[in-house]
Amino acid sequence: MIHPHDSAIVRTLGRIVIPVAQLFGFYVLIFGQHGPGGGFVGGVVLAASMILAILIFGVDANDSQLAQKVLHGDGVGLLIFAGVGGLCLIGGGQFLNYSSLAIPGLDEASRHYAGIMLTQIGVAADVAVTGVSIAISLSMEDGEVAAEEVSHG
Amino acid sequence: MSSNLPILLFFVPFVTAVALPILTAKRRSWCAPLAIGAVSLMIVLSIANLRLVMSQGSIEYALGGWAVPLGIAWLDDPLAAVMVLAVSAVSLLSLIYGRAVAAARFDNSMPYYTLVLLLIAGLVGIVFAADLFNVFVFLEVSAISAYALVGAAGGSAAVYAFRYLLLGSLGATLYLLGVGHLYVATGTLNMADLATRIPELITSTAIVAGFIYIFLGLSIKMALIPLHGWLPDAYASAPRAVTPLLASTVTKVALVAWVRIEYSLIAPGVEVGHVPVLVLLEELGVIAALVGGSLALIQTDLKRMFAYGGIGHVGLILIGVSLGNPTGFAGGVFYLVNDAVMQLSLFMIAGAVAHYYGARTLDELRSLRQRSPWLTGALVVVAVGMVGLPPTGGFFGKWNIVLGALEAEHYLAAFAVVASTLLTLAYFVRILTNWFHQPAMPDAAPVELARPVYVSLGIVSVAMIVLGLLSDSIFEFLLRTGGGI
Repeated sequence: MIHPHDSAIVRTLGRIVIPVAQLFGFYVLIFGQHGPGGGFVGGVVLAASMILAILIFGVDANDSQLAQKVLHGDGVGLLIFAGVGGLCLIGGGQFLNYSSLAIPGLDEASRHYAGIMLTQIGVAADVAVTGVSIAISLSMEDGEVAAEEVSHG
Repeated sequence: MSSNLPILLFFVPFVTAVALPILTAKRRSWCAPLAIGAVSLMIVLSIANLRLVMSQGSIEYALGGWAVPLGIAWLDDPLAAVMVLAVSAVSLLSLIYGRAVAAARFDNSMPYYTLVLLLIAGLVGIVFAADLFNVFVFLEVSAISAYALVGAAGGSAAVYAFRYLLLGSLGATLYLLGVGHLYVATGTLNMADLATRIPELITSTAIVAGFIYIFLGLSIKMALIPLHGWLPDAYASAPRAVTPLLASTVTKVALVAWVRIEYSLIAPGVEVGHVPVLVLLEELGVIAALVGGSLALIQTDLKRMFAYGGIGHVGLILIGVSLGNPTGFAGGVFYLVNDAVMQLSLFMIAGAVAHYYGARTLDELRSLRQRSPWLTGALVVVAVGMVGLPPTGGFFGKWNIVLGALEAEHYLAAFAVVASTLLTLAYFVRILTNWFHQPAMPDAAPVELARPVYVSLGIVSVAMIVLGLLSDSIFEFLLRTGGGI
């Protein structure tokens, strides 16, 4: 079990660093189109920011709410990825052939841009969720893990 | 749209698996219908795919529109079309059967259905992939689901699942190491492209080492003797609902991956340092067939006996596909499809016997007095199929392997097939004498099986005979798998 940290310095710094880290995560995700970065790295930075919140404020604190909510998003990233692939199929191309991405009102270059962006967002979402869920699982005590498993079926 | 059938076949189970946790968060009872619906849709799609391949021949699918060899390719050839149909049908039957015999906590259990669907998606991916690295990815997708499913029973199953995980990961690592060797030596991962570059490099150490690593890795995955250690315990302790699916698909599809690599990359008659490669593989198959059959004969636990029987059959199939002639190849692949169906039936019977009578060992079978006619019938049909008597598909598969061995003048291989048939006969005689040991009680009504159980047992038994009746056209179709021989 991870206990909340009671040092004022850590808590105050955490409040400043976490939003900045999240912003940086989004920047890395979007900048991945033009330089180093992309979905995976952006997702890791986002996950790190949420894990930091868990470490500083504890799993159950209000400030870690985002991390808790995000947990239910298992698979959303994969669905986004699959959705982009599916739209390409609907547009008459092969799977993930962005040239035939069926989003109306886009020329071919923007279709490629949108396709890559969306799949990267999907990757980032999945990486972030996986990172947070690993941190939360590790922070549980044995009894709690069992309870969690039972409630999931 | 018809050209997109391979990706759709992968998509249906995959998207359902991913969406299942979200769709069923509030409505638990939707799990089973959604999963069964998805797999039924897969059957429809794979029949359409089979018809398409029958009329148009092999289709190459370039993902993302990137042309081969730059992009990742999937190959939809007769081998893949037949295997995908077999995997979908086997999955549907085991899902239906699983609902009836599963422990109560699997009822509407979202993780169970998600894992099964992910497993199926991974298997479909392996079958279609024509790219060595893609095969690795899907091997892992299916293997991770399989580890979790084996461990789902808890208790000692978790230990065996962990051993399966360690050995399976070792297999995957060896495979990846081999793929790395081939990539460094040739600069490509696409199988068709490799096939054009490998013949002139076949004596290079990197290529030979790469093939050895790939074969070792896949041998663990397909449980080829002596690398079969994880399988019997894992299958004997896995939940009843999932053993039929695991036994009939996981090892067989790993074998399909090897068949595809061997068939497209190793030309018949190739020698490395005076060792004819295919003959070596064939001898490994001979050992596996004989040792697997002998080990099955000395088991006392029903599930372990069937597991060793399956291990022996992996050897038979390896003999068939390594003979280097079309007869043996068609026989081996046909026997592979057949074996998937037979393993399904065997483990469904073992599961039902454990569920309704609480019997796991042969000794416990001896005391049965109220035998269900459905179970008896299914057991007899599968015994006929495993031993290989004419109306069932098992006969035609073995017959062609023997004919292929005689054609290649490999008499040891032909002898091994016949000897393994005798071993199979011996352990089925053991099972049947125990099964019929006590006279039936005349007045007591037999135990009523749940409808899903006897319906799926019936369908599987009929399928074994139908495969036998259609064997000629299936052989002809399989021989149209391009390239190679």
